Amino acid sequence: MAVIAQPPPTQTHADVTRDVVGTLSPATKGYNLMLAGAVGLFLVGVVTFTLILRDGLGLAGYNPPIFWSVFITTFVFWVGIGHAGTLISAILFLFRSPWRTAVYRATEAMTVFAVMTAGLFPIIHIGRQWIFYWLLPYPNQRYLWPNFKSPLVWDVFAIGTYLTVSTLFLIFGLIPDVAAVRDKATGWRKQVYAALSLNWQGTDNQWRHYSRAYLYLAALAAPLVLSVHSVVSWDFASSLIPGWHGTIFAPYFVAGAIYSGVGMVFTLLIPLRKYLRLEHMIGDYHFDNMSKLTLFTGTILFYAYGMEYFVAWYSGNTFEQTTFWRRAFGPMWWGGWAMIICNGLVSQLLWFRKIRVNLTALFVISIFINIGMWFERYVIINSLSNDYIPYAWDGMVPTWADWGILAGSFGWFGMWFLLFAKNFPIVAIQEIKEFIPMPRKHAASAGHH
Amino acid sequence: MAARKMTPGVLASFEHIDVACDTIRALRAKGRKDITVFYSHPSHELEEAVGHKVSPVRLFTLIGGLTGTTAAFSMQIWMNRNWPLLVGGKPIVAIPAFVVIGFELTVLIGALCTLFGVFFLSTILRHKGVTYDGRFSDDRIGVFVPAGPDQAPALEKMFKDAGAVEVQRAA
Amino acid sequence: MSDEREPSSEVSRRRFLTVLGTTSAGAAMLSGCSTEKVEKLIPYLVQSEDQVPGIPTWYASTCTECSAGCGLHVRVREGRPVKLEGNPDNPINKGALCARGQAGLQGLYNPGRVRTPMVKQGGTWKEISWDDAIAMLAQKVGAASGKLAVISGAGRGTFSSFLGDWTSAAGGRVVRYQAFDLEPVREANLRVFGRDEIPAYDFGAAKYIVSFGADFLETFGSPTEYQLGYAESHGFTGGREPAKHVYFAPRASLTGLNADEWHAVVPGSEASLALAMAGVLMQQRGGSVSGMASVSVEDAAKATGLSGETITRLAKEFASASPSLAVAGGIGSQTAGATELCAAVNLLNYAAGNVGQTVRFGADLDHGDGFGALEALSKSLGSGEVEVLLVHEANPVFTAPRATKFGDALAKVPFKVSTAQYFDETAAASDLLLPSHHALERWDDLNARAGYWGLMQPVLTPVFSSMAPGDILLKTAQKAGGAMAKFSAATWEEQLKSTWQARFPGGDAMWRAALARGGMYQDAPVTAVKVGNADVSTSAPALEGAGEFTLLPYATSHYFDGRGANRPWLAENPDPVTKITWQSWVELSPEAAARINVREGEILKVTSPHGSVEAAAYIYPGLRADVIAIPLGLGHTELGEFAKGRGVNYLDLLGPVTGSFIPYVSVKVQVERTHAYRKVAKTEGTTRQLGRGIAEAMPLAYASKGMTLEQSAKAAGHPEHEINTPRELEALQGWRDGQVGLKDGEGRRLGNYAGEHAMWGMAVDLSRCTGCSACVTACYAENNIAWVGEEQILRGREMSWMRIERYWEGGSDGEPIEARFVPMMCQHCDNAPCEPVCPVYAAYHTPDGLNGQVYNRCVGTRYCANNCPYKVRYFNWLAYNKKAFPEPLNLQLNPDVTVRARGVMEKCTFCVQRIRGAQHVARLEDRPLKDGDVVTACQQACPSRAISFGDMHDPESAVLKIKQDPRGYHILEEINVRPAVTYLAKVLRSEPVAHAASGGGEHN
Repeated sequence: MAVIAQPPPTQTHADVTRDVVGTLSPATKGYNLMLAGAVGLFLVGVVTFTLILRDGLGLAGYNPPIFWSVFITTFVFWVGIGHAGTLISAILFLFRSPWRTAVYRATEAMTVFAVMTAGLFPIIHIGRQWIFYWLLPYPNQRYLWPNFKSPLVWDVFAIGTYLTVSTLFLIFGLIPDVAAVRDKATGWRKQVYAALSLNWQGTDNQWRHYSRAYLYLAALAAPLVLSVHSVVSWDFASSLIPGWHGTIFAPYFVAGAIYSGVGMVFTLLIPLRKYLRLEHMIGDYHFDNMSKLTLFTGTILFYAYGMEYFVAWYSGNTFEQTTFWRRAFGPMWWGGWAMIICNGLVSQLLWFRKIRVNLTALFVISIFINIGMWFERYVIINSLSNDYIPYAWDGMVPTWADWGILAGSFGWFGMWFLLFAKNFPIVAIQEIKEFIPMPRKHAASAGHH
Repeated sequence: MAARKMTPGVLASFEHIDVACDTIRALRAKGRKDITVFYSHPSHELEEAVGHKVSPVRLFTLIGGLTGTTAAFSMQIWMNRNWPLLVGGKPIVAIPAFVVIGFELTVLIGALCTLFGVFFLSTILRHKGVTYDGRFSDDRIGVFVPAGPDQAPALEKMFKDAGAVEVQRAA
Repeated sequence: MSDEREPSSEVSRRRFLTVLGTTSAGAAMLSGCSTEKVEKLIPYLVQSEDQVPGIPTWYASTCTECSAGCGLHVRVREGRPVKLEGNPDNPINKGALCARGQAGLQGLYNPGRVRTPMVKQGGTWKEISWDDAIAMLAQKVGAASGKLAVISGAGRGTFSSFLGDWTSAAGGRVVRYQAFDLEPVREANLRVFGRDEIPAYDFGAAKYIVSFGADFLETFGSPTEYQLGYAESHGFTGGREPAKHVYFAPRASLTGLNADEWHAVVPGSEASLALAMAGVLMQQRGGSVSGMASVSVEDAAKATGLSGETITRLAKEFASASPSLAVAGGIGSQTAGATELCAAVNLLNYAAGNVGQTVRFGADLDHGDGFGALEALSKSLGSGEVEVLLVHEANPVFTAPRATKFGDALAKVPFKVSTAQYFDETAAASDLLLPSHHALERWDDLNARAGYWGLMQPVLTPVFSSMAPGDILLKTAQKAGGAMAKFSAATWEEQLKSTWQARFPGGDAMWRAALARGGMYQDAPVTAVKVGNADVSTSAPALEGAGEFTLLPYATSHYFDGRGANRPWLAENPDPVTKITWQSWVELSPEAAARINVREGEILKVTSPHGSVEAAAYIYPGLRADVIAIPLGLGHTELGEFAKGRGVNYLDLLGPVTGSFIPYVSVKVQVERTHAYRKVAKTEGTTRQLGRGIAEAMPLAYASKGMTLEQSAKAAGHPEHEINTPRELEALQGWRDGQVGLKDGEGRRLGNYAGEHAMWGMAVDLSRCTGCSACVTACYAENNIAWVGEEQILRGREMSWMRIERYWEGGSDGEPIEARFVPMMCQHCDNAPCEPVCPVYAAYHTPDGLNGQVYNRCVGTRYCANNCPYKVRYFNWLAYNKKAFPEPLNLQLNPDVTVRARGVMEKCTFCVQRIRGAQHVARLEDRPLKDGDVVTACQQACPSRAISFGDMHDPESAVLKIKQDPRGYHILEEINVRPAVTYLAKVLRSEPVAHAASGGGEHN
């Protein structure tokens, strides 16, 4: 496919600082409305959860044998979203792909807040939320330790590590930029940013350790991206439910995660770049590359879907076969097809360059991706509705409680993301500058050796 | 940081990277080791000019990572034997099941140690403050050389000749 | 096999109860003190010797839930009965107990009970003191001067005869009225053999059983006794050929579903069939019955809609088996011609030589005076002949069809007294309420059949301010004086005891022995009978109305005549046939449903000439296309919060009763769609097992050759289930052995696992299981399982640790429909998939092989339930424990079992509390645990003796022997979870219906 070359830098370092610091200008009415909306949604979630705490999980639509449903779906959805960020910021950093610089800060922020959201669900979804900490290995006079053979405990560690590392990674990358903001800011804001910049001055000594450390952090974060969603996938794959019990799950879920993540990046970045007037920093070049990433992961996903059905048929295993027959033609057929269309087919549109650089199209596609990926998880989890004992089979209908928590999660995520976008450089100043050569007195003669 | 006692010396700022680099090299040729250079973004050119050795921060990463691995496995093995409970007919100590947490803790502790390393090396060791200019985080390159009143004038002259856009003395 | 197992447990109980005999007098004292005292923190100031806190006390008693007279063992903890079990000494139920019997406890603690004496003043109830109440009754009875009538639902016994004397002394008359009174059986016996009695049927001795719509596993006669016998004769136990069971009825009841052949005959045509069979039989055997009308096979075929060949074949089979047994007189086929049918069946039995063998006259089972007597009385009620009507523990207002206008007649009586236990429809219509004790609160007896006297004794302080009916009568008599002054006994207890000592020799020793054994049981001699009058009209009785469907009643084994409707245990225990809970429904055959284009759950309006009801449709393959069925016993307007306004009353559709009994099958009905829908609260998902080998079966031919399932499947030419190649199988086996190594290795040496332990295991014989669901209620009672109610069941949230799965086989393209019942409980797998996924070790494996569930460690991730292939884990989605035990139902809770809180997972524990209990007893007696010391609740209740339980490490244990039966298999063996429950495949007379293609073609 046709490649869009990286555009030659049109700005000076001073422009970059000015433009990015400019995004932190006082909020407009539009922004405040969106923020208010997000907080509102979040409160819906808070109220729902309070009622659940009072009366029990029964308020949600659970219908045995479906013991997991919307909450776990949403959990996996948000963990998945979280993956694009670290992928772009860490893995592409190691691959030295230049297009990441303009977008990685935004995606990294998205990652952190998505994982923060996901992190709530293991607590929300359990029956006795007030003792969720029993999953942690803390010393207690009962000498009880968690069961390290349980994928749920793996989850605790995986999500915990991922949240910590991606947060540190974000903060670490922010330090020089916050320093830059500090040096432009005035009054109390200057004080705040000064504190946050941890006394960064950009001396040769600081840069020396900083760049090294960043490299190693990236090197640690890279496998983490792949591991976290693998672990999440093992919550399902290590069980024996037909439709869950598959060796394909880890790569399948990781691909899906990145796919959904990039989808969410489109959904957030396309409006954001317009609102913050960053068009000249984030352009076709970046969207084209992100689209290719989407296309790549989307195709892997498409293949995985096909493989699931094929293996079910080829295995000759009656349980698997029934599950997948019902996934396509059973009571939940619409969900089964929704995921194939929204993820498998829609992603294939990105073969066309016109679409890859058409932001309207990308935005619409990204919405499809979000919906499709949520339903993918819902459908996979719904394999519970028909496992081994036909007598126990049943379907379920989510209730207001399910939707309330789902809405709350979007509110919680949106709230944090909006706050971040307005108060921190959403584009990495220092790394953009890295790609803009500084002025020279004597032409390029004394240039690089 | 204002509280910190300032080192007396000369601070020059440059607009052109090649000029800055040449100046730094010249200073080092004169045998000055205690130069401090300020710049707004990672730059190989300047790093070469300053000519540091590779940062030792990677040692922190390595040690942290290994600690994580050992901690993870010993914790899991000990806790499982501390109160043995049979589940699903699996052995009490089921190493394959412990690998996941082994990996996660490697990454976690590795990352934490790396960060600690950075702050330890770049901040805490810097006992003395030097004068700083906000433009260094924008588009200027700063070079600071500690100097008593006796050497200062010479340095100032040198910087001016080299083409510094601005030279000030910090006392 | 049950006989192998019984003795040990019996012995221990006997010894236990001989101790009790001496102490049970103390129990009587106990019932003297008032409830307030009991509610104090420390119940006993001076602790009574037979109430040791923490140690259960057992009392023998007698069940009064129906007239069968099963014996009870009441488990009492801290002065509260917490569990009812069958009394092994009672020859009727031999230790088993049906679901209704188990639920008797919810009768005792029922919130719907009348709590104090009350009088109706100006249409509203007002509490009064017992003295005033008695005085009022005495005054009224005196004033009535003979214009007194009594309707008594009490069983035959000392009380009912006393009631008779009492009433005649007052110049009145008693009508003993019991629903499902088998009037046709008695009338037919009177006509044919000259004996107005219900004989004893010996299902255990029969080699061939033909039922003409007699639901002997549900409501007919003495179901538990019959089921015990049926399991013995019809169940498969190598050696001898099991009895064959043929069922003729337009609808397959639970009894029909257990039959080897079910033939959906035209309603009301059975009589001709019976006679035709008798004819063929006599041709084959010779001999004849004088005066018996001969019906040709052709005529019978025409009448019943069966083929002549079928009739001849069955008749020949029947003839060549001896002794055999034919029964008739079930509610489901009770047409106006029921008496004719029973007479015809009498002749069939007589011709087959069963009378005196499997049909034993002289036993004279308890029964009332029949519905005719009630009708006669209700006619006279309006005419001023009756001033005072006393209704004792009967509910005719509900159990008599509305069209008989009993309620109106009752209203005409100036003064109506009720000594009901529950505030039922009749009690609500009375003027004075004198609540009588529950059978567990009073001294009483029941003469269930000639020679059998079951005793009842008070086992707790009365729950409410009620009184023993005997005492009510005595006090009233003494108050009224005059002719009644002769009833001078100080207490009813005294009178009962003296009556007994007059009835049986042996004085106090006899009394104590009787109390310990729960009564006196002497088999009455079999009376020989001859055919007197042999004429039988075979003309099918006319049906009223022009509707397209004949309306059939479904007398469920849970609700019985309606008295079960206010017991959550029964309402929540899925109907064994349809698996529906809490609701009423209308059954249609698939053909009928297709014809009038109805889906399950559409509300149908069923209209008869006498009324109409609306209920949701349920498509049931065990039904003729020209009939519909509605369950009996629902649609109460009173009786308590759980029954009131729930479902519809079948009887509203019937007409006035002209004969001596209610012809339940007498109207044709119109069925209209309402296009409104209501989800049917059934607990089943898919009705087919999709060839997953869950409920396995094998043909008799192969079973008797001692084949295993695989061998039998091969022999029958079924496709192999195995999908792995021999090489893969070898690898798998190696891997499995490796696993055993692992588990018996390190794991077994550490911590609590070190040393020798038992290995608990269970076996379930599907050739004996009838799906009756007694085990389900037993499990609810033993394990404090919360019922969740209709709304939660609609979300599939029932908590039944033990459930009976019912799968259909065949039924399509001409194949006969076959039902397979599988009791499904936690399989306590060695490789339990639920355990490793629990993050907090709430689910773990105990050293004695149990799959433990630690409630207070559970955080409720529910992963275990997801990962359970048998789906036998149940989650407390809401605070069910708060709702399920309203006062005073909470008094029933078993102190040995935690009441689970909201947010935790629960499941079958193999009755771990009973295991530990038995282990403690063994330790106290300083002996090793014996096989049979541990009896799980389901095993104890099972009237088919289909469940066995024990230590698989004990080479002598019965369960181990049963597990080695070639029919044995594990459900879902292929996923290698190594369950501890072994099922013995059902044995079929016919080829097992080939497994339906699995995978795609599943229908929900």
